[in-house]
Amino acid sequence: MSSSTLMKTFAETDIADVVIIGSGAGGAPLAAELARNGKSVVVLEAGPAFSAMSHTPDEVAARELYWLHERLSAGTNPQAFGGNNSGTGLGGSLLHYGAFMPRMDARDFHLHTETGKGVDWPFGLDELLPYIERVESFIGVSGPAHYPWDPDRRYAYPPPPANSAALKMREACDALGLRHADGPAALITRDIEQPHFGTRHACANCGACHQGCRNGAKSGTVNTWLPMAVAYGAELRPGCFAHTIERDSSGRVSGVVYRQDGLEHRQKCTILVLAAGAVETPRLLLTNGLANSSGQVGQNYMTHVSTQVWGEFDEDIRPNRGYPSLTITEDMMRPKDADFVGGYLVQSLGMMPATWGQNLARGTTTRGPAFARALAGYNRSAGMGINGECLPRPENRVTLSNEKDAFGIPKPLIEHSYGPNEWAMHHHAARLLTQMWEAVGAKDIRVIDRAAHMIGTCRMGTDAGSNVVNPVGRSFDIDNLWISDHSIFPSAAAANPALAIMALSLRTADAMLKT
Amino acid sequence: MSHPPDRPEILDSDHLSARTREILTARLSVSATQPQTLSFQAYAVLDALLPVLLPLDEILPASTDIAMTARIDAALSGPRDGWRFADLPPDAEAWESALLTLDDVAADQHGLRFIHLTPDLRGALLDAVMDGQIGLDRAGRLTASQMKRWSGDLRGEIVDCIMSDPRIQQALGISSSLTGGDTVFQGFTNVGPDSREDFEPKATAPLLQMADSSE
Repeated sequence: MSSSTLMKTFAETDIADVVIIGSGAGGAPLAAELARNGKSVVVLEAGPAFSAMSHTPDEVAARELYWLHERLSAGTNPQAFGGNNSGTGLGGSLLHYGAFMPRMDARDFHLHTETGKGVDWPFGLDELLPYIERVESFIGVSGPAHYPWDPDRRYAYPPPPANSAALKMREACDALGLRHADGPAALITRDIEQPHFGTRHACANCGACHQGCRNGAKSGTVNTWLPMAVAYGAELRPGCFAHTIERDSSGRVSGVVYRQDGLEHRQKCTILVLAAGAVETPRLLLTNGLANSSGQVGQNYMTHVSTQVWGEFDEDIRPNRGYPSLTITEDMMRPKDADFVGGYLVQSLGMMPATWGQNLARGTTTRGPAFARALAGYNRSAGMGINGECLPRPENRVTLSNEKDAFGIPKPLIEHSYGPNEWAMHHHAARLLTQMWEAVGAKDIRVIDRAAHMIGTCRMGTDAGSNVVNPVGRSFDIDNLWISDHSIFPSAAAANPALAIMALSLRTADAMLKT
Repeated sequence: MSHPPDRPEILDSDHLSARTREILTARLSVSATQPQTLSFQAYAVLDALLPVLLPLDEILPASTDIAMTARIDAALSGPRDGWRFADLPPDAEAWESALLTLDDVAADQHGLRFIHLTPDLRGALLDAVMDGQIGLDRAGRLTASQMKRWSGDLRGEIVDCIMSDPRIQQALGISSSLTGGDTVFQGFTNVGPDSREDFEPKATAPLLQMADSSE
């Protein structure tokens, strides 16, 4: 945040036009857009305000950026939370996201129409595209001069240099006749003056995106939307854990109760927006017993099939260096030999050592000297990973467990099991990526079965009986309650969610300003 | 250089921020006084298990003790990673129960406490845990399926401890902590294969010596 900006503050007795819970990709663009249009906005963020230069590449210490209120993970594919998942602190998950910024494929909006499986979005890419372009332009996204799967697309910044894994994946794609490109990355590759923020420096190729960007190169909300929101009079309140939603006699939301420094506070508001993510947003609604006449709150929790395949090379790879995941191929968005619906993106993977070692440790049962030698192979390792469609399934959901957290609120229980489509996609990708690494001489090839991201649980749609919010994010049950985050995604799509979350956030802001 | 010095050279690099230097340096001075989280019995089992699961003698000189048991025991009482398997109790309790389960099974199968088993027998028990073959169905102990789940947590915790240790990073030639200093944020200029920059460590681990000399 720019130190020269004096932030406006509101009294608790004031009735804010809009209170937003969450300062990440869902909450921040909305806050900026509403403030710019004259609304009084208060953003409640559970985590602290970090200083960028204090971020550390030490992976254990950098857990301070993760949402660490304990979650219980169940199902046949219990998902690992913590790392590279929900975030905390002003900036939300974008503090630690990988900044890989592909656009959603137009076909993924209509998966049910195309295949009879999954769910359609209530609109198509043409509706979201103007917002996507606004996001890319405002926050800064780098990409290639020519994007093979969308020739009309342009990026404002040239890509960062390709690291070892990116170069190896290019070779592997060439060997198998797959198209490849430098992927869209939400980082800047030349110094700029960001409006309302100040100087952002070009990416220094330090490789620690997931541990927090220290020089402002990575495009998060903390160096884009949030300073803009403050410049237009919004108040950001870090360290505020919102837990109770209050209503008036007519059932409309009247305010939020949150805990700050061990004390309870209340902020009154005219409109409340939940932007807390696919676990905390439904958890808030479920603990408060709100907005669930459809019975859909917490239902259809989705992830991305995120299979990784790693190999060892003869060269000194040093996978911690450079932007971690530069090379992309979109050729698997609808593979001809698919035995599944939907598709997946493939990206190259560098990785920091503990994160890489965790995948190795949890994905294998090697022991003794073989385990030590595998870990010692870090500097010779390169990976590829996918992000693939995950169908909504009734058994995958967020509910309240019987255990209470430190605030006395039930801990969330997240059930996650792959269905046949997810397993078929995993096996397809494992085969293909193994073949790709074999083609360029990788040894000790290792497949890691994993899921990433968190999507769904407060579905958006046109029918009040089967959706939590309408197609612009407004609750069907309570007309001054809105949701702006990935919990409203009707389907997972293949693309990493941050770009669509921000685009939807701007779109929801437009809808709110019209009402 | 045949082995890393007591104070790894990376800690004196100007490519390290003061905060990161402080975090890494603190890991050098952890010593085993007494358990902070686990009981003495469970702590002893963990101490006997670690060298069998992940021996470090091919990575570090024999004189270097990175106090893995003490650090894991302390970490179990510190901030955790924000989630756990729903079918396991909270972390500290799960670890205590898992380690005591191993000790009881050792006594049942071999008539000896786990710490008195030969390394081969300890290893065989660990393999059986990871296969989901070993567990006890009674209070304060974990079932076979819980033990298998816990073995993933065990492996993950060890790796966090190892890969975040500056002596290990130095020995394996890992430059991940050297992203940039406080006054100058250098990052990396070279990011392609076979392009180690001068400030990046060369591997000193005995098991990597052959590979490194061919660089």
